[in-house]
Formats: sequence, structure tokens, C-alpha cells
Amino acid sequence: MTGLQAYLLLSSLLFAIGLAGALTRRNAILVLIGIELMLNAANINFIAFWHYGPATTYITGVMFAIFSISVAAAEAAVGLAIIVAAYRHSHTIDLDSMNSLKG
Amino acid sequence: MSSIQPTYSQLLSLAIPQMILVGTALLAMSIDLLALRRATLSTRSAATAILGSLGCAAAAAYIAIIHPNGNLLGGVLLGNAFIQLLQIAILALTIAVLLLAAGSTFTRHVGEYVLLILMATVGMLFLVATQDLLVIFVSIELLSLSLYTLAAFNKQSRFSWEAALKYFLFGGMSAAFLLFGFSLLYGLSNSTSLSEIGAHIHGLSPLLAIAIVCVAVGLGFKVAAAPFHFWAPDIYQAAPAPSAAFIASGSKVASFIVFFQLASIGFAGAQGSATWGHFVRGWIPVIALVAALSMVLGNFVAIRQSSVRRLLAYSAVAHAGYMLLALTAHTPQSLAALVYYVVTYSAATIGAFAVLSIVEAQTGSDRIGDLPGLSRREPVLSFCLAIFLLSLAGIPPLAGFFGKFYLFVAALQSSPESMPLLWLVILAIATSAVSLYYYLRVLKASYITTPESSAALTSGRVSGEEIPRVLCVLLAAAVVLLGAWPSLLLRPLLNALPRVF
Repeated sequence: MTGLQAYLLLSSLLFAIGLAGALTRRNAILVLIGIELMLNAANINFIAFWHYGPATTYITGVMFAIFSISVAAAEAAVGLAIIVAAYRHSHTIDLDSMNSLKG
Repeated sequence: MSSIQPTYSQLLSLAIPQMILVGTALLAMSIDLLALRRATLSTRSAATAILGSLGCAAAAAYIAIIHPNGNLLGGVLLGNAFIQLLQIAILALTIAVLLLAAGSTFTRHVGEYVLLILMATVGMLFLVATQDLLVIFVSIELLSLSLYTLAAFNKQSRFSWEAALKYFLFGGMSAAFLLFGFSLLYGLSNSTSLSEIGAHIHGLSPLLAIAIVCVAVGLGFKVAAAPFHFWAPDIYQAAPAPSAAFIASGSKVASFIVFFQLASIGFAGAQGSATWGHFVRGWIPVIALVAALSMVLGNFVAIRQSSVRRLLAYSAVAHAGYMLLALTAHTPQSLAALVYYVVTYSAATIGAFAVLSIVEAQTGSDRIGDLPGLSRREPVLSFCLAIFLLSLAGIPPLAGFFGKFYLFVAALQSSPESMPLLWLVILAIATSAVSLYYYLRVLKASYITTPESSAALTSGRVSGEEIPRVLCVLLAAAVVLLGAWPSLLLRPLLNALPRVF
């Protein structure tokens, strides 16, 4: 197994763990953590593809990872704000209790 | 590629519309916080929304007069006649949404509301003007993060929060899928430019298959195609009317354009085929299946909705299915058909939300059962609603009919001899016949059913709804005009296209 394959395996595993967490957890914060894992799996991909790629002088992959880290931070800020506000309204962040909209 | 070394003047000339919007957004918020502190809520919201729409009009005027052209860094930021048209259309839709928000009193933070709408518009303007994965990702996130907050803006309603939380969690997951897909595309080509990626892809590798599915999940969420549509009914029902209208209109335009570009340029080497009985692996069968599922599920679930907003949401899923048909055809003509369809669809949807927001202010609900008496209480409004819904159903001479007709023709003409998409077009026509039933059910409630109490017949005008009323009439006029005279929009579109392909 080459280095690139090992990194891709790691990132796929991380993505799968994150997705499983996001889909099965009932707590909104834990779902958010799952989403962050998925985003970081993609970042590992970017860095690995850049490192083992043909042209390491162009730092496109690193730039993409830096941008996506800052976007993920913004996303966490917005998400936590929405979760806090939802908690103030219904005093729970359990997703199973969020069932007043149906149809 | 015009030049490798970008100059700031080039960047400036292409990004001035966005800069105008950012400036207007900050101005609107500071005026709201400083000058209008003692004004009433409806005055504040009307003033900031009108200021915001003036900013949009200024940006559109800049694009229409200066025609910013160019190509920065091999597709990072583009300007051509087609992109100018798209940007003007997006700005026009944003103006309509802002006018719908003018005078509304669901929030005290009107300055921030206008700011977020304009920030989302900046994201859309960048989104249609780029062919680079990094800029696509950042602008999609700018758009999405603004939309999550806009959806949660009604602090009084717990439904608004609940819908926004679901929207955010689904959106976050889809963004992660999109980013993962982008990382694989970067790995395949070692570049983030769509044309470079297209040049590096020859045939379908397993890695590319995963990338295609990830991108389809990420963008399928943005355009509310089945099976990634779960957020749509909740958001349409519970978000404030201007936010819901914005999510249903401008964001759709930008997302469909970027979806089309990604598929037709980035995945050009792995098309596959969706001919009935002869599926070949590639991106086309993926999109074709999503389209077919959206048409069937959207139209059939919409039948049993009792809330008009939820009904519009499921019909939006169905319309997303029709529009994905243009993706599977991926010809210049189908791109023109897609733009015409999504713009007229957005205009009709904003109009329907404008009528609904006024009706909700009067009766407090959007259920079909509460509509009777509308035609006698508000003859103009209910006539506008009829125009919007019939246009969505595709009745001539309204814009929706020509949009559907042109889209189906474009899909069939993509390869006239074999007609690989014939089965999808037949499915689209059959399911759009189903859609007529539920649109007419709304109109029957507002026109024919007699109301139970006579209170439904007396007009209960609420203050601060004059601007949305005018907006309804204007949008209805636009829908009729574009339907009766489609070349008004199509001719400039078709003239602009050869420079793209």
C-alpha cells in the first residue's frame, strides 16, 4: 500500500464514521460533530492529493483545505446559534422531539 | 485564458456588482441602527428593504451598462454576455424578494435581515460567474449559511427554528458530501478548474463514480431534488414568507446553473447514457434517475397536502425533476431552456408566496380549507394567485407553459435521431398532468367553494402590505408577458450562448 492509498483509506473511514454519526445520533450537537468529521475527511484528501500529486509547487490543495477549515468554522458558528435558539424555545435539542412539522 | 497574471483592475471590474451589494448591505444595517432608531417597525423594514432593492438595481444597471467581460485566472471569475444576463435575472428576483419583505413585521432586526439577503445574493452572483471548484464551494457556503439564518428569522415561531435546524443539519451533511466530491475531483486532475478537470477525465473510474455521486448529493440538496428534498416542505411551511420565497427562487437559479456547468464541463469525459433499456454508466443516468424520482414523488405527494405552502414545496421537487431533464440533455439549447424555465418558475413562486403572505396576515393560516371567500374578498389577489398557479401547472399562454414546452423540445432535440430521453419526457408530461389536479384544488377553494362564515368575505386589511400587493400584480404581469412573448427573454439568452460553448 502506498502512502496515498493509506491516506485515502483513512479519509474514507473518517467520512463514513462522520456520516454514520450524523445519521444515527439524535442529539443535534453530536450530529454537528459528525458533519465536522465528514468535512475534515475531505480536507485530508486535499492535503494527501496535493502531497502525492505531480506539482507540489502549486499549493492549490493546501489552499482549498485552509478555505474549507474556515468555512467549517463559520458553519459551526451558525449551526450552534440555531441550536441554542432552538433550545431556548423547546428546552431540548433532541431531534426526535422536533416533529411538529409533518406531511 | 486571457492572462495568467491577474490585475486588480480586472478583478475590480468583474466584482463591482458584488461590492455594490456588500456596501448597500452595510449601509442598510447602519441606517437601520442609527437613523431609524425611533421609527416604527414597518417604516424601518420598508426603508431598509427599499434601500436594499435600490442597491440591487444599481448593481444590475452597472452590469447592463458596462457589460463587464473577462476571464480571471482561467475561469476563477468570468464575465460574458450569458453570465451578465443570469446576474441581472438573479438581481431582479432578489428585488422581488426584498419588496416582499418590505413592511413585514415578523422580526425586529430588519437591518440584519436585509443584510443577509444581500450577502446570499453576493454568493449567487459569484456562483454563476465561476468555473472553479474553490470559488464554487465558498460561494455555495456563503449562500447556504445566509439562507439557514434567514430561515430561522421568525423568533416568535418555534416552527421556524425547527425547520431551520433541520435545514441546517441536512445542509451541513450535503456540504460535506460536496466537499468530499470536490476533493476527489481535485485528486483526479490536480486542478480546481472545471475545464482542466474535464480534460483529465477519460471514462469512468471508481474514484470518479464516488465523486459524481457525492456532487449529485450535494447539489441535489441545493435544488431540492428527491431523495434529498426532506428539508423543503418544512422550510416552505415554517420559514418567514420572504425567506421561503428566496430559498425557492434565487438560490434555485444559481444552484441549477452551477450544477449544469459542473456536469457538462467537469464530467464531460464520463457521460454515460440514459437510453431506456441501454443504460451506460456515467453521470447522465444518475441525474436521469434523480429527475424521474423527483417528478413522480413530488407530484404524487403534493396531492395529499392540505397546506398550500407544503403543496408548493412538493411541487418544487417536481419542478426540480423537470429542470434536471435539461441537465441530462446538456446542449446549449437545453441550457437556454433551463434558464428560461427556472427564471419564470422563480417569478411565479415568489408571486405565490407574496399572495400567501398577505392571506396569512389576514386569516392566520395557509390551509386550503381557509381559502374559500378569497376571490370575493380580494378579487385582484386571487386572480394573481390563479395566474401563478396556472403558470406553474403549465397552462398556455402563461410563462410556465412555454418553459415546459421549450424544455421538453430541447431534451428531445439533444440527439434527434435516437431520442434517448424520450422516456423521461413522457414521464414528465404524464406527471405534469397530475400536477394540474392539485393546483386546481387550490383554485377551486379560492373561487368556487363557498365560505362557511360570512367573516371570510369582509376585507380585513392589515397595514404594511401595500408593497407586496403591488409586487403581486407586477409579477403576474411579468408571468403573462413572458409567456405570451417568450423571445423577450429567449432571444438575448440564445444570442449570448454561442460565446459560452
